[in-house]
Amino acid sequence: MHIPDGFLKFPVWAAMDAVAIPVVGVVAWRAQRNFQDNRVPLMGVMGAFIFAAQMINFPVGSGTSGHLVGAALLSFTLGPAAAAIVMTAILAIQALVFQDGGVLALGANVFNMALAGVAAGYLPWLLFGGRQVGIFLGAALSLLVSAFLALAELMISGVPMPVPVLAVSVGLFLVSAVMEGAITLVVVQAIERIQPGFLRRPAASHRKILAFGALAATVFAVTAAIFVSETPDGIVSVLRRAGVSAPSVGLFHSPVADYQLDSAMAPWLSRSLAGLAGLVIVYVVCLVIARMITASRPVPRREGA
Amino acid sequence: MRHARVERWSRGTSSIHSYHPVARILATGVLLVTIATLGPGSSTACALYFTLLAGTALLAGLPLLELLVSATVVLPFALCFAVISALSGDSEQAAMLLARGYLSALAALLLMATTPLPSLFSGLETLRVPRFLLLVMQFLYRYLIVLAGEAGTMRDAAKSRGGGARSIEFRQAAGAAGVLFARSFARAEAIHRAMLSRGFSGHMPASEGRPFASSDGAFLLLAAGTAIIIRVNAA
Repeated sequence: MHIPDGFLKFPVWAAMDAVAIPVVGVVAWRAQRNFQDNRVPLMGVMGAFIFAAQMINFPVGSGTSGHLVGAALLSFTLGPAAAAIVMTAILAIQALVFQDGGVLALGANVFNMALAGVAAGYLPWLLFGGRQVGIFLGAALSLLVSAFLALAELMISGVPMPVPVLAVSVGLFLVSAVMEGAITLVVVQAIERIQPGFLRRPAASHRKILAFGALAATVFAVTAAIFVSETPDGIVSVLRRAGVSAPSVGLFHSPVADYQLDSAMAPWLSRSLAGLAGLVIVYVVCLVIARMITASRPVPRREGA
Repeated sequence: MRHARVERWSRGTSSIHSYHPVARILATGVLLVTIATLGPGSSTACALYFTLLAGTALLAGLPLLELLVSATVVLPFALCFAVISALSGDSEQAAMLLARGYLSALAALLLMATTPLPSLFSGLETLRVPRFLLLVMQFLYRYLIVLAGEAGTMRDAAKSRGGGARSIEFRQAAGAAGVLFARSFARAEAIHRAMLSRGFSGHMPASEGRPFASSDGAFLLLAAGTAIIIRVNAA
């Protein structure tokens, strides 16, 4: 979902640009510093590959078809930093040459798809040491995170989103996510069959996962804090619009009551801190579950047939 | 092909085409910001922005109608949300979504139609966009057409082997994508070897541009100033 210009409110697109520009700058600077000189043509050509691969229709059911989005596939084959740069380049070319997505909204689109999308796709891949579950989950999660971020940004900008439309969009996102997962999985298998060694299988190192997860969580927390302080009632109204009524909001009260730790602190600070604390809890729970899954099922690594 | 037409337009020789790319990029940036911050009910400002963009396009000797039609690519997305807006009773906002989306796309298209890609990239480099990212974008754009052609050839080949385009199955499509991936990878390596043989040392030569003249500054001031005056009076 490429957001065009004119849909996001000034604080939203400005904040997203302010986040995306330095992050892309740092990633590009690092990529340039660790310059292996065959990387530039490779990254450009792989970006062009994603464009071309989107011409291939994957038939799903009666008469409908989907196509590859590719953020997760890029992160599996080039590594997350290079994938983020390639996705940024794709989005910039789409915005400039094809007017697909806005120029001012480029920061938001880059954040949704090139940064958060690649990170969300790479984490499960890392977590499951490159197994099939990781491929499917990574691709599906990548699409879901990008789509939900885009939807959230539109809603915070005051683009009206009645409940039925919201329900339909969420349904569409879930279907597309499953499709992206399936397509990425079969394409990865096809690539492996042609020539094993294209994929950069991670050694399942928990330190790496922790570092990556902490980074991703921080980025999300900071963005959330910006959103929450810009539109204090944004989250509540999003929940309300999503049809979450008062009783079910009560569910969130037990761990971090009303997203506020201490009323003595500045409201935006306590909200962000509470949000961060909640994030850490969710993250630890996910990590524990993931470790349990990986420890209990030592599935042998599938080699290319 | 959309990009081919925009590239043809960008090679024009009008005075608009001849200004420094940085002047055009910055003017477009100011214009986009002033359009993006337009509030509801500023239909006069929208009309003025439209006149400004159309006038510039005519000055640049571009086929106005084709340009206006070309910018409608944003309308499917914009219409979708505008209809939702209108249905929830806010027709004012619906109109603004459409107008802002269309005017912004037109402004971006006008920049592309008056700036050849190499000078756009050198302008962006002057504005401190990371060089590495710009290099990747240049390679991407250059091989976009090549690989899209390759994908088209593969589709024709699959059809000629007896399948209709519709009857390609999920696995076969995956196989095609895998083959395309392997070929792209091999092509990237061939490109790199060719670059090495021509003396590539790990860095691309800096693109030389002409200095920013006072006439470029005057154009920037005039374009950005007009955009700001329209915006301030709309508030």
